[in-house]
Amino acid sequence: MFAFSETSEKEIEKQLVKYPPDRKKSAILALLRIAQQQNGYVSPEAMEEIGRRLDLSPAYVEGVCSFYTMYYTRPVGQYVILFCINVSCHLLNCDNLLEYTAKKLNIEVGGTTEDKKFTLLREECLAECSRAPVMRINNDYHVNLTPQKIDQILDSLK
Amino acid sequence: MPKKTQTETVTLTIDGKTVTVPKGTVAVDAAKTVGIDIPVFCYHEKLGPFGCCRMCLVEVEKMPKLATACTLAVGQDMVINTESQKATKGRQGVLEFTLLNHPLDCPVCDKGGECPLQDNTFAHGPDLTRTEFTRYNRDKAVPLSPVVTIDRERCIACQRCTRYSDIVEQETALVMVNRGFQNRVQTFQDRPYETRFSGNVVDICPVGALTNTTYRFKSRIWDLDNAETLCAHCGVNCNIVVGARMNEFMRVQAKSGENSQANDAVDDGWICDKGRFGYGFVESANRILNCRNDKGEALEANDALGQAATQLKKISDEHGPKSVGFIGSPYGTNEELYLYQKLFRQQLKTNNIDFKTYKQAPGLPVDHYDVGDIETSDLVLLIASDPTEEAPVLDLRIKKSVSFFDVKLAVLNDQKTDMDKPAALSLRYNVGSEAETLSALIDALNDKKVRGLEKSAGIAPKLIKELAATIQGSEKVCVIYNPAALNGVASDTILELLQTIGGLPDKQCGAIPVAPGTNAVGALDMGAHPNFYPGGLALSEAEKIKSLWGDESPLQPGFSALEMIEKAAAGELKALVVFRANPVVDFPGGSAVMEALKNLDYLVVHDMLETETTQLANLVLASNGPGYDDGTTTNIGGRVQFRKRSLVREDHPPDWMIISRMIRSLDPEAPSYKNSFDATDEISKNVPGYEAINKKSVKGMGLPRKGFACSEVQGNGAPAAEKPENGALRLRVTNYLFAHDKILDASSPLAHQFKSSTVYLNAEDAKALGIETGGEVKVVSGDVAIDAVAEVSDRCNPGAALMPRVSDEQGLMALVKDPDAATWVQVKK
Amino acid sequence: MTQLLFKHINVEGMASIDVYEKHGGYETLKKALKQKPEEILETVKASGLRGRGGAGFPTGLKWSFLAKNVYPRYLVCNADESEPGTCKDRELLLKNPHLLIEGMIICAYACEIETGYNYMRGEFYDLCEIFDKAVEEAYDRGYLGKNILKSKFNLDLHSHLGAGAYICGEESALLNSLEGMRGEPRLKPPFPAVEGLYGKPTVVNNVETLCAVVPVVEGGAKAYAALGTEKSKGTKLVSVSGHVRNPGNFEVVLGTPTSEIIEMAGGMREGRKLKAFIPGGSSVPMLPADKVDTPYDYESLQAAGSMLGSGALIVMDDSANVVKETLRIASFYMHESCGKCTPCREGTRWLHQILGEIESGRGKDENIGLLQDICDNMSFKCFCPLGDAAIAPVLSGIANFREDYEELLSQAKAGVAAE
Repeated sequence: MFAFSETSEKEIEKQLVKYPPDRKKSAILALLRIAQQQNGYVSPEAMEEIGRRLDLSPAYVEGVCSFYTMYYTRPVGQYVILFCINVSCHLLNCDNLLEYTAKKLNIEVGGTTEDKKFTLLREECLAECSRAPVMRINNDYHVNLTPQKIDQILDSLK
Repeated sequence: MPKKTQTETVTLTIDGKTVTVPKGTVAVDAAKTVGIDIPVFCYHEKLGPFGCCRMCLVEVEKMPKLATACTLAVGQDMVINTESQKATKGRQGVLEFTLLNHPLDCPVCDKGGECPLQDNTFAHGPDLTRTEFTRYNRDKAVPLSPVVTIDRERCIACQRCTRYSDIVEQETALVMVNRGFQNRVQTFQDRPYETRFSGNVVDICPVGALTNTTYRFKSRIWDLDNAETLCAHCGVNCNIVVGARMNEFMRVQAKSGENSQANDAVDDGWICDKGRFGYGFVESANRILNCRNDKGEALEANDALGQAATQLKKISDEHGPKSVGFIGSPYGTNEELYLYQKLFRQQLKTNNIDFKTYKQAPGLPVDHYDVGDIETSDLVLLIASDPTEEAPVLDLRIKKSVSFFDVKLAVLNDQKTDMDKPAALSLRYNVGSEAETLSALIDALNDKKVRGLEKSAGIAPKLIKELAATIQGSEKVCVIYNPAALNGVASDTILELLQTIGGLPDKQCGAIPVAPGTNAVGALDMGAHPNFYPGGLALSEAEKIKSLWGDESPLQPGFSALEMIEKAAAGELKALVVFRANPVVDFPGGSAVMEALKNLDYLVVHDMLETETTQLANLVLASNGPGYDDGTTTNIGGRVQFRKRSLVREDHPPDWMIISRMIRSLDPEAPSYKNSFDATDEISKNVPGYEAINKKSVKGMGLPRKGFACSEVQGNGAPAAEKPENGALRLRVTNYLFAHDKILDASSPLAHQFKSSTVYLNAEDAKALGIETGGEVKVVSGDVAIDAVAEVSDRCNPGAALMPRVSDEQGLMALVKDPDAATWVQVKK
Repeated sequence: MTQLLFKHINVEGMASIDVYEKHGGYETLKKALKQKPEEILETVKASGLRGRGGAGFPTGLKWSFLAKNVYPRYLVCNADESEPGTCKDRELLLKNPHLLIEGMIICAYACEIETGYNYMRGEFYDLCEIFDKAVEEAYDRGYLGKNILKSKFNLDLHSHLGAGAYICGEESALLNSLEGMRGEPRLKPPFPAVEGLYGKPTVVNNVETLCAVVPVVEGGAKAYAALGTEKSKGTKLVSVSGHVRNPGNFEVVLGTPTSEIIEMAGGMREGRKLKAFIPGGSSVPMLPADKVDTPYDYESLQAAGSMLGSGALIVMDDSANVVKETLRIASFYMHESCGKCTPCREGTRWLHQILGEIESGRGKDENIGLLQDICDNMSFKCFCPLGDAAIAPVLSGIANFREDYEELLSQAKAGVAAE
């Protein structure tokens, strides 16, 4: 069973008022995000609950959820590292840095550390190209990456 | 979604041909009118333009880019070239992309031979692919449901099925998930795609991705004999194409743009899953193949029918015409029912003729609307009807009309149904208070004071007034109602309501009575009624009757079906013919019905499947039934169409022949018919309203028979509300589409849709009774107790117990003694 | 150097309304509210301001296409900045959110709009918090809400976060996403100005465009139009990334030579020579070094065989291999194709497969012709511009840097021979 927490309910309320009353479907991305913030990922039960809230079929919710890359439908680590691999970062050797990070965390790209602390994912352009290479950990951007900087950041999260 | 018909036209040129079409037509459809076939995958006329497959690229003068002909609304003086080098290369490229990851398994694909991808590749594609990569491997032959299989490799992501689920079914049960080349058609968490209308996706899939599980690998399509015919389940009479191979049933498809032309006046090209997958009965092990006597000895059809006629005549002569009777069925064809009433009226001189257990007289005080009229109405008023369970395709048409044609829907019912969702106004009255509710509405429409209804009917007068205002404010009103769900005097009140609406100033009003059965309208029209001759001729119209039917025509009112059972029990009715009906299970009364039938001197049962009733028969006449016999039926919209046979039986005569031979065995002068159309011709001569119905007019789209007025409408006023006994709830028997009965037997591919016996209780009553959802209960009336699982919901108001008929085994009708009176039940843990 | 949008970009605390007001913030709005909406529209039209998101469509003209007398109308700010190489909107939103809010209010006033949404890509969660706070401040000061600055004009602004989909930068896909659907593009026509958000007339503009409305109205159409070239007016934010010493966002007057912009970014790295540059984000053709003096404006870049796009100048020096970078970009488009239309869904993957073969030394000579023909079969045949974007680097790479392809192909041949 999935239920939104009190904090989530407050956030949902804030989101729903943004849209015309007969257009509450607009809040689907927000509700998926809130569900994920609450539980770390979007479970099928959460999708059903969101469907009930917004008067949508659960299939519809899944269809939308699966279109966007930022929703995780399986549990992920406490910190999700989105590592930009697009062209501006690529020109500045992000591939090596990504490999470095994976090695450091002792996981494959796409994997989660055993202690469930980190999940490492490839990410398409994060729009910080002039400060490449770039990664985003949860909601924070980290720019001008070097191996040393990566060490520093990851260590600070331990 | 195509909008209502445009009157303005535009003229343009396609491949040098001049085309004039209504404004707003897309180029694909415009081209079709001059025989130019622009290939498409994603476009479907019932789903509207989408433009994702890019197959229909054409060159348009003055446009720099190629345009998709399915999304291009044609304009005045437009010049379209479908065969230019640029267009041809464009389409070749698109086909190469489409085939890039499509497996080349045509030889083992069920779609082969009727596959748009195959056809388009043949006509427009490149000869070879240039890819050297392994095709994208995806799941093959996965069940999407027990009746629909999906082959993910074959899917070209045209989104026809998902758009159908969204636009037509309006359930979004089937959606696209993921994106890019990983996108795929899916249900929520891959749960089975089980809707009322899931099978239509098989018809519209332009490749072999979605296939009919019951048809997989059974035949190649070129080996099929296809019959364009009608579905024989509910009263919509959807147009279907039955494919048979070597006289064996293979599959049912909707008649649609995919294989022929959709009949928009009836089904809009869609059918329900019962219509598609519920056809096992034509080859059921339970079929009656031979006539037999009470010793179980097989009889030649001619001997059997001769015996029956002679015996009936003998009893009628001995005990008087009142001693014989006929209980027919809304599942018979017009010809069959016409001939039976002729046998009983002309040869046996009795009006003991009926086919139903509810009250309804033929004719209407307003126009009889065709199904297509729903789209052009301003208001659809749905009364006591649950189309989703009772006439499914109507559900689609109503939703379409509401969503795309700005039709307003108002619902008046004693139960919550799927139609509440699209309804602008939805009123729920207490079970049993329909007459009061309807007469309050009549008062409101006549600007009279509306009585307080809260207590007795559970509806605030304010809502009745709101509904009345909605009706008054709508120019064209289509009333859809289920006569079988209207208790007691409400069967008269509904007519009074229709008359009242029809009498409002500047009002067009018509009705569509949606009674159970395939041909309930036809049965009434054919005079399967104790008080009416064919064409709604009341017995009081003696002169007309005599001029049509002869001076000796019986003019005494006959017994209704329920009265016949009573009279049989009392020993007054001696002989009965039951045609394609199973009173033992379907009639109210339970074991009393069986006892009554056993009390008869002579029971003839004419049926296609063994039933509890055939077990009691002195003589069984084998009926071929739909699938094997030709005939016409009249649908809920009054449209008469031809139900062509799709299978052949040469060793047994069709029903119309059996009945006509019975007539001839008693009257050698009576006409003999070479085929069913000879009987149809006689109907057109003898049945008022059916003058234009003939062999030609019933084919294709069919033809509405001329509606006729009902005899004078009796204003009965509202009956006094009955007081419930202590703790008792009023029973309402509702319908469930996939009931496990003789038609959908245990071997049916729809068995997964069977439902266990359920009683719906309002939360208020459930609380008082200490019953929770999922609790096993007994529903008791007198000495009858029916097992059920409780479901606590807001499906009905307090004071009622709602029970869908889910199976023959459930024995639900045994609870009901008199369908016109209230049935009070105790729900016990 | 003329700085309009970036004038105060590095002022400490500019994201707060106090600092913004101290630097003249919301004064332009006050000025605008004294004019009639149609006067503002005329100013924007006359300024020559063009959409800064990528297409470069004249902004005033776009506004004037709004279906007449149909209300409500909506304003949607496209802050789905996702075009590889582009990071200017992020900087504006991060450091100067009130500039955008002021621009949105002026636009809404000119277009008679009472509800606006700022659609930010999901990754901009941090910016969304900044924007929400700024919006709250603007409400508190009476710049938003009912009777703005005691006028009859009402406006509500809301933030809306996407959730990771490049395609949502395409305006109709963005509208679908905002309506709670999969971000698949819509059929056009109807265009958003006629049937946009919730089927109502809608203005969709990029962050930078809406920000630019402020200086346009502030300084007047004439002053703005005085900047730039004949058809490319005003200033443009250029995101410089890749092989330069000091990458960053720079505000330049349109028509500035591209080489000068590279110099602003510190020029090429030590000992390296310019090999290629992509002037407007990964969706536009890449150009060889000899085009580096091309004036950075819509027309000149088009004449040079590319486009200004979103203003993302990606610089590659001689250490870069065009095939490898093209493969990277091709992978991006394959990942971001929504899958709705066949040529894009299948074509982006096929291009990626072939480029992968070439890059890994398994290519064949005929692959080049095949790549070109696949591109031709996609070109202008896809549902939305993503397909055309996907082919730009492939075609331009082959046209301008064929030697990089041939080198890999000859290695492949040598490899085969060696086996």
